[in-house]
Amino acid sequence: MAVSARHFVRLKLRLTANGLRSQTWRVVLFVLGALMALSWAVVGYAAFSLPGLLDEQRAAEVLLPLGGGVIVLGWLFLPLVFFGVDESLDPARFALLPLPRRTLIKGLFVAALAGVPAVATFAGTLGMVHAAARLGGVAAALVELVGVTTGLLLCVAVSRAVTSAFATALRSRRARDLATVLLAATAALLGPLQLAALAGAQHADWGRVGRVADVVAWTPFGAPYSIGVDLATGRAWAVPVKLALVLASIGLLLWWWSTTVERAMLGPAANARPRQRAATSRGPVAQLVPRWLPRNRFGAIAAREARYWWRETHRRASLITFGVVGVFLPAFVGAASGSAAAPTGMLLLVGALAAVNLANQFGFDGSAYAADVVAGVPGRVELASRVAGFSAYAGPALLVIAVVVGLVTGRPHSIPALVGTLVAAYGTGLAIVLPTSVRAAYALPDTVNPFAMSSGGGLAKGLLSFGALLGAALLTAPLQLGALLLGDVWLWIGLPVGVGYGAAAFALGLRLAGPMLDRRAPELLATVSAAQ
Amino acid sequence: MSVPHQRSSADPALALQGLFKRFDAKVAVAGIDLDVPAGSFFGLLGPNGAGKTTTLSMAVGLLRPDAGQARILGYDVWADPTAAKSRIGVLPDGVRLFDRLTGTELLAYHGLLRGMDADVVDRRSAELMDVLELGATNRTLVVDYSAGMKKKIGLACAMLHAPRLLVLDEPFEAVDPVSAALIRDILHRYVAGGGTVVFSSHVMAVVERLCSHVAIMAEGTIRVHGTLAQVRGERSLEDVFVEVVGGRTSTGSELAWL
Repeated sequence: MAVSARHFVRLKLRLTANGLRSQTWRVVLFVLGALMALSWAVVGYAAFSLPGLLDEQRAAEVLLPLGGGVIVLGWLFLPLVFFGVDESLDPARFALLPLPRRTLIKGLFVAALAGVPAVATFAGTLGMVHAAARLGGVAAALVELVGVTTGLLLCVAVSRAVTSAFATALRSRRARDLATVLLAATAALLGPLQLAALAGAQHADWGRVGRVADVVAWTPFGAPYSIGVDLATGRAWAVPVKLALVLASIGLLLWWWSTTVERAMLGPAANARPRQRAATSRGPVAQLVPRWLPRNRFGAIAAREARYWWRETHRRASLITFGVVGVFLPAFVGAASGSAAAPTGMLLLVGALAAVNLANQFGFDGSAYAADVVAGVPGRVELASRVAGFSAYAGPALLVIAVVVGLVTGRPHSIPALVGTLVAAYGTGLAIVLPTSVRAAYALPDTVNPFAMSSGGGLAKGLLSFGALLGAALLTAPLQLGALLLGDVWLWIGLPVGVGYGAAAFALGLRLAGPMLDRRAPELLATVSAAQ
Repeated sequence: MSVPHQRSSADPALALQGLFKRFDAKVAVAGIDLDVPAGSFFGLLGPNGAGKTTTLSMAVGLLRPDAGQARILGYDVWADPTAAKSRIGVLPDGVRLFDRLTGTELLAYHGLLRGMDADVVDRRSAELMDVLELGATNRTLVVDYSAGMKKKIGLACAMLHAPRLLVLDEPFEAVDPVSAALIRDILHRYVAGGGTVVFSSHVMAVVERLCSHVAIMAEGTIRVHGTLAQVRGERSLEDVFVEVVGGRTSTGSELAWL
């Protein structure tokens, strides 16, 4: 019996269903995620069909490729930054089965299509088919349907290929730096797009936006979504060319993916070259705890956490992603708007995003957390030392971000106030994230892909992140108001006020989460070490 | 809970009363009463899935029981966890270590976590690494250790703070004969010095050689317990075990195609 893609899809659906069985919170998450996806699909459908309903041909020519491009970019970035990829079908699990690589890739690819995000994307982009039908009749609608379908294939291929490639690169020490640079470069791609969007929105210069759209329509990002309108406007010759472009891109991405999947299939064992470190004459404690940390429980956990943020791939991936996104996002917004007011909102986002890295801090440990439970570490010490360990990276990163933004916006004198804003956002983010990490932890799958999520895990991660961001935005509202209303006075008091605000919020969160952890430590351990 | 339990030197090292745990529909541990006398070498036997790991996890405070009590040297694990936990060393099975640390770093971590003085940690870690033949200057990450070395470093972490009770879940699994002999030797010396060892296993030979007391578990209950001589009687421990657990006997006709 030949193995076909159908088997992979059924396996994935079965795994998803079994994951939901008798796990109320997972069902709730799944339903929530599905509802969110549905609402996005409805919004997308409405927006994309609008130009057709209004019979605005030029608007369709602009909106469809740009909207499609944003969707493809979303598939590229969101898994890296927020959601991870659903790796319920871990390629390594198929390593022992006699499957040709083509069958495996095809199966994994089709299985990846059978998920909530893919279905929602398809449903949303069907609005483009509607628009094409209104503008160019049945023929245009059919062509657009083909375009939307290939567009979806492109989206899934992009997300799979990129996460898998980064996962592979982050595992090996040599390629790690290269991966960081690559990630930075991809993040930098956001720049021009944002510039265009902002410029368009600010000057309402539709001519310029239109020219950008015309270019995007000839890149793989916008091409699949623009062919229906091309037919409707009499550029039928463009249809086969663009389709060829998209199909070639998909083929390339799948080829790229298959090369990295092959390496992932070798599993962790093949990648584990013993890392021999130079012998040292320092005592065991001095090897673990750096001199500036106390030699007690706090110091031990903080030092261990600091090591883990770099040595463990899951954590390293989120750390690097945060660093890159954290520097680029506000810098570009700052450069584009030229004022220090605009990046403030973005900085609050970045500060909270730093804290979000800790949202599943116990999930990173998995069953290893048993060591701390057996030793009976008090909850407050546990949480405070973990924050300290992470802050060894987050602190300098936030400082760099403040300096970069201050310089890019041409207002270096605002740097202290920016630091204050960042620290305040980080502190409030922690206040929300610490109790969350105790209450809403989830187990990570035991695979070599740091972006991998068990089914449902991606939704949990995304929801946790957005929840924490939203909460931090609300809680720092007084600061945002202050920055807006006080003007130049804020430049002076921003640093102390921000640091004080952040510290107070952190202390409050610790007070809340510490006793919670004392009560729930065994349950937390059971959750994060759940069978994978 | 009116009268606090009076602690005395005659307290058993580990006392379980009515421990019960249910996972969804399956009862993993169905009410266990067990006393482990201080100074004994106690073997907990049972087939796979008998509830050994669940029982030991509840006994050391890693898993909250649905009902029942666990006392360590007289201290209730769930009512007074700090006092109880400071007196035990645990080697859990199927639990990861913080394996992105080197062996010495891991030992230092466990020592500091137990609130030990840094100098004592330094001294004992170096000695343990040396005695367990892990190499005092070995800077390999624990994740790159072999399975047997991982067991040994786990054991070292459990013993570092010189606890009065060692709870070891499958300490001899995946350990080569040389290392097993070494571990046996160390544990013997520990018990001779007044310590108590509770360990789970399904390897009869090891249990017969080491233990002063045994208990046989099946389907979440203790079927037989007592001193080794009481449980074994005239027969071999393996015969007793198979009879108590009720294994399937081969008829010779199945798997004929193999």
